[in-house]
Amino acid sequence: MSRTLSISIFRHNPRDPASAPRMETHELAEAPGMTLFIALNRLRESVAPDLSFDFVCRAGVCGSCAMVINGRPGLACRTLTAALPERISLHPLPGFALIADLSVDTGTWMRELAERLETWVHLAAEPDLDLLEAPLSPGLAEEIHELDRCIECGCCIAACGTAQMRPGFVGAVGLNKIARFRLDPADSRDDADHYELIGNDQGIFGCMSLMGCEDLCPKELPLQAQLAWLRRGMARQGLRGIFDKKDKK
Amino acid sequence: MKVGHTDVLVIGGGLAGLRCAIGARRRGLEVRILSLVPAKRSHSVAAQGGMQASLGNTVRGAGDNEDLHFEDTVRGSDWGCDQLVARMFTHMAPKAVRELAAWGVPWNRVERGSAEAIINGQRVILTERDEAHGLITARDFGGTRKWRTCYTSDGTGHTMLYALGDRAVAESIPVDERCEAIALIHDGGRCQGAVVRDLVSGELSAWLASATVIATGGYGRIYGVSTNAIINEGIGAAIALETGVARLGNMEAVQFHPTAIVPAGILVTEGCRGDGGVLRDVDGHRFMPDYEPEKAELASRDVVSRRMAEHMRRGKGVKGDGPEHLWLDITGLGAAHIDRKLREVRDICHHFLGIDPAREWIPVRPTQHYSMGGIRTDHRGESPTLRGLFACGEAACWDLHGFNRLGGNSVAETVVAGMLVGEYVADHVRDEGSAIRLSPALARAFIAREQAALEAILARPAEEDAHAIRRAMEATMTEQVGLFRDEAGLATAVETLTGLLARAGRIGTRNKRRDANPELVLAWRLPKMLKLALVAAEGALARRESRGAHCREDYPARNDRDWLKRTLVSWQADGPHFEYEPIEVEAMELPPGFRGYGTRNIIEHPGTAARLGDTEAQRAALAGAGRDAVQAALLPFEALLPERYRGRNARLGEVGQ
Amino acid sequence: MPAPATHALPRVSHWPAMLDLAQSLSGLLLALFMWFHMCFVSAILLSEDAAWIVARFFEGYFVFGRALPWLVSVFVALISSLLAVHALLALRKFPADWAQYRAIAAHSDRTRHGDTLLWLVQVATGFAMFFLAPVHLYTMMTRPELIGPFESADRVWSGFYWPLYLILLFMVEIHGGVGLYRLALKWGWLPARNTRDGRRRLALAKWALTAFFLILGLASLGAYMKLGHSHAPLAGEPYVPSWLRAEPAR
Repeated sequence: MSRTLSISIFRHNPRDPASAPRMETHELAEAPGMTLFIALNRLRESVAPDLSFDFVCRAGVCGSCAMVINGRPGLACRTLTAALPERISLHPLPGFALIADLSVDTGTWMRELAERLETWVHLAAEPDLDLLEAPLSPGLAEEIHELDRCIECGCCIAACGTAQMRPGFVGAVGLNKIARFRLDPADSRDDADHYELIGNDQGIFGCMSLMGCEDLCPKELPLQAQLAWLRRGMARQGLRGIFDKKDKK
Repeated sequence: MKVGHTDVLVIGGGLAGLRCAIGARRRGLEVRILSLVPAKRSHSVAAQGGMQASLGNTVRGAGDNEDLHFEDTVRGSDWGCDQLVARMFTHMAPKAVRELAAWGVPWNRVERGSAEAIINGQRVILTERDEAHGLITARDFGGTRKWRTCYTSDGTGHTMLYALGDRAVAESIPVDERCEAIALIHDGGRCQGAVVRDLVSGELSAWLASATVIATGGYGRIYGVSTNAIINEGIGAAIALETGVARLGNMEAVQFHPTAIVPAGILVTEGCRGDGGVLRDVDGHRFMPDYEPEKAELASRDVVSRRMAEHMRRGKGVKGDGPEHLWLDITGLGAAHIDRKLREVRDICHHFLGIDPAREWIPVRPTQHYSMGGIRTDHRGESPTLRGLFACGEAACWDLHGFNRLGGNSVAETVVAGMLVGEYVADHVRDEGSAIRLSPALARAFIAREQAALEAILARPAEEDAHAIRRAMEATMTEQVGLFRDEAGLATAVETLTGLLARAGRIGTRNKRRDANPELVLAWRLPKMLKLALVAAEGALARRESRGAHCREDYPARNDRDWLKRTLVSWQADGPHFEYEPIEVEAMELPPGFRGYGTRNIIEHPGTAARLGDTEAQRAALAGAGRDAVQAALLPFEALLPERYRGRNARLGEVGQ
Repeated sequence: MPAPATHALPRVSHWPAMLDLAQSLSGLLLALFMWFHMCFVSAILLSEDAAWIVARFFEGYFVFGRALPWLVSVFVALISSLLAVHALLALRKFPADWAQYRAIAAHSDRTRHGDTLLWLVQVATGFAMFFLAPVHLYTMMTRPELIGPFESADRVWSGFYWPLYLILLFMVEIHGGVGLYRLALKWGWLPARNTRDGRRRLALAKWALTAFFLILGLASLGAYMKLGHSHAPLAGEPYVPSWLRAEPAR
């Protein structure tokens, strides 16, 4: 124990014309059980009072604190410094608008995604709340929950070469949501509707299976399996469209 | 200066704020949500174990209904709650769960047939009914007579928040993220909206609104170690307090959760114990049955937390590098159960402790968790003293929880209160909207006042260090306004906090940025947090009894004779002013009684016996009339509900009756 | 008033699905073709006669009783078209401008992520094949009769094609191996229920196959170079299988 950490932090305030992006390195005595949440707060309390970063739950469930830690996106709050080398570099998550330093605007990005992909249950009819709920198979409920566990941290976007190259790409976060609603019997949309949303190069056909999302998702969502499942479904839907058109003629 | 207009301004984007906004929006109103963070990052997301609703689908929940849920809630509150509100709540909870199910919350479901479970340390076989297959299941939680807590693994708050967050998008409700309400605009009698600071640009603006709803959650971060998110600094309650008109209720009622991990203070759900986990001491001994033979680990939270502290005082805690702690043992549940039903717990243990809870014990200790106190409202969620100001969820003292909240009742409250208050807010705007005169000039005056206050912080030299003051506040609250309280400690706390509040006025900032400046934010928020800390400590000092989570070692009895009342506080020029509001025994459906923990230590209210006789007489007179008729005679509430929510809740076995 | 004539416009295009399928299918066919191709080429390792038999087989010699080299030309033309289609479709995925190139390069550099790096390798090898493959294909299409043990050996050695083939061998095997691996991930054909296990096995299979075909290819190329070197003085002389040769004069 008793290492001295050397933490290099990306610093820049895009609203300040005098600010230029730079790396600022601080030394910090490591403490037992220290996470990046603790380390960054110590730096803010001592040497860097204006350092911007985002933590909310500090327990790895809210997705606020995603940043690039030694090159790879991850949740800072649950990253123990003990798991890192002495030299640590921290960058803001790429692919999102920079607010300042390590703080990025994932919220606006995710809201736009939700509007674009309509990531809510499309009800066939308003439920009658006095009646028993509609039954759902226990296994299917667990499968839906498995995909519903996404915390919109943005790591999959930062981990995805495609999303880094092509900012319009909906990424694993968007595709996983469609997979989630496709699985959910409460949602009245069918594959023709899904194809409209993601049957293009900004959607499922833009995915090049680089697997950054699968490998770096902090929640370990089964993204490869979901993306493949969607691709098969959407390819089938694309073919079906062509044959349907011929049938109509 | 930007001054905007909206029908309803909701401050806070967690479960309560979102559901309230959705309700008002569906009534055709223009609604805007302000949130410190993206709505889906709100602290609601951290609720793990579940939401109480008396569906009665699982075999261990069969026979459950609103009456049982009501009684558990009132007992849990140590008779400190508003029983009318508890009635409205327990009636609404099943509707809330079913609505969320329709909106996509993938509640875990009942699986027909037999499966093994662990109850009170014993392996038992439970056989679920065929007709319940696929309906929403429930797990056991503390202080309840039935398995009533609906859940999605241990990510319940997350799935609920995402369902509502996405529903708000579906309803096109704008959410101003990274915006903080820094003052309520009011004319002494009516709230007209809020001054808003953009936390990115630092600019001030104002929203004028016919109704303003505060749903900003609790104030746990006035404590040093808390399970709360770090944004739970109570600023919503503080700006209400600072109006001098609105009152906060029961601020001394602070809950400590038995099982937060050591040292990080991160919650591991009550579901761990509900699913069969046990607490062990330094010798590996399961000690809770020694104290509470009947409920053991599943006694009410306040009771378990106190018993744990008591046991540590007897030298049975585990002492190591960090704070003293006990063990939570869920190894008996098996890896398969933990992977499916307690995976967040597994992840938290893995990332923060480096252990596998399927094989190793989890170090835990009681930690600040929930704020029963908040902005005092009537059953409609409106402040009785500042019209047009509403509050719901943890930010409010709607008073569902009294002095101790049952596990699973908080997320349930957020959504239920959101559903109800959304309707009442819409009624308010419909009934009074045209008569409400919103004043842009007033809004500009408030903006100017706040701007001046912020400029003053930036202008002054940094005589005091904000972090040092904050740490002193946290330590004071933890040590002297914690699980056990007494006169001397509380008096010292009040003195210390008063001094800190004076010093907080001299906090400066080293950097003078107006935008995205964490130093400025802390310098501005800290005096507000100190005011909350001070009113909590003073309220605790004044309350010379022990009730629920408020445990005075020098006054161990629950004193219904003198203290069956709610603490109300307002902030005036000379500091906090306390008043008390009686909790009417004459109106109680369930008159004060013994909760069944430890030994009976109650100083009776003079009206208790009479009301007990009265309720029993009414029950006898209505024998055979059915539970609804009895209930309606004892505490009528149906007429107070919005019409759309008055229907009777269907249950298995009751269908068609 | 009569209703105006209307016709519904399609809501969405089916092309993205078609193009994606076509890219995957063309890649799959090309990769499988290359494996077979390598097996046939390696016939030289058995014997010169074996190589001659394989070459004549594809010219229909054993069906029609005589060699019809234009059959090979037609087949090569087909493969060339498939390659062109695949290249065209794959081009859509290449970094389209400097900014995109910088973004992916910086990303890969930063994350040091294996599968992302493999994709960049695929881009590089694919790009190289734009130039290298046509040289070989043009030769095969225009002079199909010059496929045979001596003919090929002379081309490799005396015609100084061996550097081209050496580079092309690595490009093809790496590109094809990675491509098939990615194809399996993309469409979800994993050899295990669990993605992690499936990928591990898949990656193992990929490297094993790539190594096998590289060794086979290097051995075959070496054999042709050796033969070409020894046959250099007689370069241009066609190969006659052992059973058709006139008895050597005693």
